[in-house]
Amino acid sequence: MGKYADDEQWSDVVPLPTDEGGDNPLAAIAYSEEYEETMSYLRAIMAANEYSPRVLDLTEDLIDMNPAHYTVWLYRAQCLFAIDSDLKEELEWLNETALTHQKNYQIWHHRNLIVDKLDQCEGETAFVESMFERDAKNYHVWSYRQWLVRRFGLWDKGELEFTEQMLQRDVRNNSAWNHRWFVVNGQEGAAGVGDPDIRAREMKFAMLAIAKAPQNQSPWNYLRGITKKSGMSLAHLKDFAEQYASLDQPDNIHSSFALDLLADILVEEKNTKQAAQALDLLEKTYDPIRKNYWAYRKEQLGLPAAVA
Amino acid sequence: MSLAAGPGRGGGGGAQGQLPDEMKVVVEKHVAYIQSLDTRREELEYHLTEHLRISGIYWGLTALHLLGHPDALPRDGVLDFLFSCLHADGGFGAAPGHDPHMLYTVSSVQILAMVDGFDELEKRMKDGKLKVAKYIAGLQQPNGTFAGDEWGETDTRFLYCALNALSLLGFLPSQQADQPPLIDVPAATAYVKACQNFDGGFGTEPGAESHSGQVFTCCGALSITGELDSYLGEEGKDRLGAWLSERQLPSGGLNGRPEKLVDVCYSWWVMSSMAMIGRLHWIDKAKLTAFILQCQDPEEGGFADRPGDMVDVFHTVFGLAGLSLLGHPGLVEVDPA
Repeated sequence: MGKYADDEQWSDVVPLPTDEGGDNPLAAIAYSEEYEETMSYLRAIMAANEYSPRVLDLTEDLIDMNPAHYTVWLYRAQCLFAIDSDLKEELEWLNETALTHQKNYQIWHHRNLIVDKLDQCEGETAFVESMFERDAKNYHVWSYRQWLVRRFGLWDKGELEFTEQMLQRDVRNNSAWNHRWFVVNGQEGAAGVGDPDIRAREMKFAMLAIAKAPQNQSPWNYLRGITKKSGMSLAHLKDFAEQYASLDQPDNIHSSFALDLLADILVEEKNTKQAAQALDLLEKTYDPIRKNYWAYRKEQLGLPAAVA
Repeated sequence: MSLAAGPGRGGGGGAQGQLPDEMKVVVEKHVAYIQSLDTRREELEYHLTEHLRISGIYWGLTALHLLGHPDALPRDGVLDFLFSCLHADGGFGAAPGHDPHMLYTVSSVQILAMVDGFDELEKRMKDGKLKVAKYIAGLQQPNGTFAGDEWGETDTRFLYCALNALSLLGFLPSQQADQPPLIDVPAATAYVKACQNFDGGFGTEPGAESHSGQVFTCCGALSITGELDSYLGEEGKDRLGAWLSERQLPSGGLNGRPEKLVDVCYSWWVMSSMAMIGRLHWIDKAKLTAFILQCQDPEEGGFADRPGDMVDVFHTVFGLAGLSLLGHPGLVEVDPA
């Protein structure tokens, strides 16, 4: 006997045991008794296409035991919509579940379906932020945040400030940098960093972040992204790069990313000799694990032989 | 196609004899480890990973191919299990009784390709290949990308999966030139291109952060449609290759995104992408090889995500595939796309 077999509420259901097993050595799956019992009730319910409040209890039970079982989530969503269940209540339950199973794909897709149907996102950004307290780089949560911004048009409703807060907490959070780019440039028809004022603001933001942690790849990528998207010459960044990597002081390089950028600027200036010096420093001293990459960049310079 | 391009062995020779012990792949132990996975049904974890059953078989079988022991799992048992997950609409679920889903459908197609089982499919289901192809094609969305199932979660993983499986089945529009196309290839590739970010990498959807796994799926998709070279060009390859090579950390291991931990599985996602764009030599191969081998359990077989962690079949196949791409002796050569 089990939890469901003993429950009055479920006495009308004949559980459907698994159709796996038998002689097949690769298919037989031994379940824990409790899980197997619950699944056998779900199979019976699904076979009868039942949508009712008790389906929500049953699927909740199964999701607690095994949140990765996507069929259970889908059936739960179908049921919620079919019986016109209170979706806000569903969200409250999901809040708890999401905190317990942070790396689960299904939870976020389910949330997506529910909030889309609700057609309003009150409390959602705050919930997302509480998820970031635990893991500020969770890919599902960032994707969900972007979906919220697009779906509910949150572009200029504090989103930029939010990225700033996230980066204040951890300036190396590449996900937050990516989100900032998305907020500034992602809206259809937005000029983004093509607008000189926005460009100036974003460059300043990245430069201040670099000052805090020069050996941090994300803001350097962000700066390069701005120059590329706006068609600006890299030469504008020369003074800045030299603050962190000057060829006059090869023993005092503060950032391999600055040196990399400087090398590109020197190439743009057709100063191949100094570009080779910068690439040499990267190859030999500041980023030797990528020596083949730096050697390739030097080859691209078309110099007859490597500069010592 | 089949992940294993064998029967030739990679790494020029195949003899591991002259290698020091810590540099050897313990082939027999990995084979025994994979064979043991199906017998551990008393463990709780076994049923909690039921949603991955088909994927598990795919990973195990691929690992066995790489190890040069493709017959170490019984072919009939594999096929019987596979067909017990097949639905009338042509989709496969993760296990019997699970709804059909893109991920398990592509794994099933890959398994059928590996065990040369397409004829079996035709025997068990009339026009089986076409039905499976139509199931996959039916998941394409108006914007070109693919959903994982009828509920519409989309991700560039699914898009790559669709192209991969259709190409194995021979149902890409380019393979069926005299038939009306099952999918809109230009829309799919346009979507992939929209997923490229300011740093040169690719994410799960437009705007989403660059991630090595998604770089693999996007490059793989463009490679299958024959557009990778023309889209990226040499400059684009240099830029993407630079981002990918930055994934290598001083430990020798690779990560998936900036400022994240290294993990053996990225040996595959990062390196196969670099191989597809002809930039694999930018990796420090000796350091990466040493890192992957530190994740190997030399006593019981299997690979873990990082040195000292528990082994599992997912990291085992990607560790082996990584070593194969690095040309390590004793493994069958692998095709990056």
